[in-house]
Amino acid sequence: MIFAALIFAVLLGVYLSGRLLSDDLIAADFSQKAQKPSLEHPFGTDMLGRDMLARTLKGLSVSIVVGTVASCVSAVIALIVGVAAATGASWLDHLINWVIDLVMGIPHTVLLILISFACGKGLKGVLIGVAVTHWTGLARIIRSEVLQIRSQQYIEVSKKLGHSSWWITVHHILPHMVPQFLIGLILMFPHAIMHESSLTFLGFGLSPEQPAIGIILSESMKYISTGMWWLAFFPGLMLVLIVLLFDRLGENLKKIVDPYSAHE
Amino acid sequence: MKRRMKVLAVLLCAASVIVSGCGGTGDSGTAAAEKAEQAADTDSAQKKETETEEKSEVVIGFSSEGDSFDPCTGFGYTGSPLYSTLVKVNGDDQLENDLATDYSVSEDALTWTFQIRDDVTFTNGDPLKASDVAFTFHTAKEKATYMDLTMLESCTALDDTTVEFKLTKPCVTFIYTVAQMGIVPENAYSDQFGLEADQIIGSGPYKMVQWDKGQQFILEANEDYYGEQPKIQRAVVLVQEEDARLVAAQAGEVDIALTSATLANTEIEGMSVQKVASVDNRGITLPTVPDEGKVTEDGYKIGNNITCDVNVRKALCYGIDRQQIIDEALNGYAEPAYTECDSMPWWNEETAIETDVDYAVELLEQSGWTDTDGDGIREKDGQKLAFHLMYFAGDSMRQAVAMSVANQAKENMGFDITVEGVSADDTIQRMFSEPMIMGWGSDSPMTSYMLYHSSNAGKTDWYNPEFYTSDKTDEYLDKAMTSLTIEDSYEWWKKAQWDGETGTSMRGEAPWAFYVNMTHLYFVKDGLNIGNQRIHAHGQAWPLIANLAEWTWE
Repeated sequence: MIFAALIFAVLLGVYLSGRLLSDDLIAADFSQKAQKPSLEHPFGTDMLGRDMLARTLKGLSVSIVVGTVASCVSAVIALIVGVAAATGASWLDHLINWVIDLVMGIPHTVLLILISFACGKGLKGVLIGVAVTHWTGLARIIRSEVLQIRSQQYIEVSKKLGHSSWWITVHHILPHMVPQFLIGLILMFPHAIMHESSLTFLGFGLSPEQPAIGIILSESMKYISTGMWWLAFFPGLMLVLIVLLFDRLGENLKKIVDPYSAHE
Repeated sequence: MKRRMKVLAVLLCAASVIVSGCGGTGDSGTAAAEKAEQAADTDSAQKKETETEEKSEVVIGFSSEGDSFDPCTGFGYTGSPLYSTLVKVNGDDQLENDLATDYSVSEDALTWTFQIRDDVTFTNGDPLKASDVAFTFHTAKEKATYMDLTMLESCTALDDTTVEFKLTKPCVTFIYTVAQMGIVPENAYSDQFGLEADQIIGSGPYKMVQWDKGQQFILEANEDYYGEQPKIQRAVVLVQEEDARLVAAQAGEVDIALTSATLANTEIEGMSVQKVASVDNRGITLPTVPDEGKVTEDGYKIGNNITCDVNVRKALCYGIDRQQIIDEALNGYAEPAYTECDSMPWWNEETAIETDVDYAVELLEQSGWTDTDGDGIREKDGQKLAFHLMYFAGDSMRQAVAMSVANQAKENMGFDITVEGVSADDTIQRMFSEPMIMGWGSDSPMTSYMLYHSSNAGKTDWYNPEFYTSDKTDEYLDKAMTSLTIEDSYEWWKKAQWDGETGTSMRGEAPWAFYVNMTHLYFVKDGLNIGNQRIHAHGQAWPLIANLAEWTWE
């Protein structure tokens, strides 16, 4: 519990510091260009003299925003679709399963690029792209959970007592979905962040002077052969750390709220 | 020493991978390493031997070779060692005869007659005749790709050594078009021409002997060449990415390699960085018309209410220190730029301006731009002196130049420039109303005509998005175009730039703020002399080897 709270605090701290840092910190300052990591610039500076720590934090905070919005949207889609598939007519179930197979069948990155390009480039495109492609896995889990609960005796009893299907869904099924939903949501974060950074790495989405972790990494590739290792190393490390932290947060939360794994 | 160790280590790793990969007999690690070491030793020994014995070969670290070697679709317009042209631009940037022995232009400037040599053969043995020249120009006109031959009405071979061009309108720069056009053999020309090594048939000092697409091509001296035999008998041209070129140069695998301002600071033992001047400039286009709600045919907004003021445009020209951009953004590897044709024979030297921040500030204040609210940015009638400056996303050099300009503009003049990376497609939509970092560079004055003649204003071909038009400029440009010889036209090109009162340059109307001419950079092995390089046009690779025949080992 404490561990989870701690992780949450760290993530919030990264997000806020990225938000609150002034844009002046990442303005070009050629007198400071290409400096190795030092006390003044812990992550060094790039060829335009921008402080890499500030850029990394700003980039990560963009990633966290994209991650949060995208996984919330995705999780909500997953919940609606999953429950609808399990409780609705059988043709609806077939249709939804078919759509899930379709989305999962297309290589993820290709789908992401297509959607973010079609929805207009920039942050909006990336957000929509990441948001509408991550729900499939969770939707499947929720569907099977719902199917399982619907075969329980008390649901049958409730039906015999004359409750409508909607009433049963709201009062008997949805409450059981909360743990799955929350854990699925948190565990979707790392995926969303990775996909956001890979999109920006490939050059879809944000323009090069905006801070985004993918842009920072793809830029650093140009300078690696001149020995400027810090341009890639620290931002890359931070990205991995953030992703791992989200993953740990999800696992911890799972222990707390998931009845099946609470006793492990 | 350290670098050598690194190279050795890389070699060892690579070799051990190869050895263990091929053998697969379960050699122990040390045995494999020993073998690899021996292999590396003999390798380098062999290399040394070949270096001392055959100094007539050169290995070039090149960029992409392109899809086609067909001059009719634009290959070699900056010169190439494979094809010969009627006339060519030499190392002193003057025109000289190549295939042509003489040429004349009729009084009305519409008929051009060339006499050509009678001793030239293509690399397939066929003699080069006037009919081949006519065929080449007809084909290029038909294909209508890179070569602009719209002014060409007809091209006929009068006899084997005389060819006559008829133009639809006077065009003095036609001589530069002729200089760009490599001659192809009529009998051997097919749809596949230029796409395979054996379909690359020219009459230049070199012939193509091998082409592995996307990897390398090999040139050998053409023993039937009509001119002097080149010293370099064989050139292996490797197609490499920028990083690979650097590594190859460090490992001593190439004798000359293209590089960039970012990487050129790397020191390589036995190699030095050579700079070649170019007219490959970087500047800002400044829309000259106000925003009156007009749009182009395609619906793109026209005009900018800040840059339509000539004083603002000139302030951006005078108030920015070019040398500072070069030092901080380009590692010192560039030259200040003043027009689109610096140092060319038709360049007006009076257009070179000195940085003068006080004058720039004075100009802004004349126009009523003052900082009234104390935030460091000037304003007028509630409008901030600010704009977005676009650059092609992904071009880090343009980004660096843009950011340096923005920093200086803010510091020197209270001018707020926001730098924004934009894709080429989006740039087209916004370039008629917003400034952008652009580059031009060509060794023909035709570029000046395209950039400033009113007939070309506001097209999506990138030349004149500023909507610059001026009757005076049109008059000079037309006079230049209708001159009988290129030498006669110089005077008019110069007047178009600056006639003492007005002009297209930064002293005059300043539709462009020119800042830097990129210097083309190469790692060159000590002892390799790359001849007298003419001022390079846009593009770093082909202009370099255009004079391959003049290279020597010392």
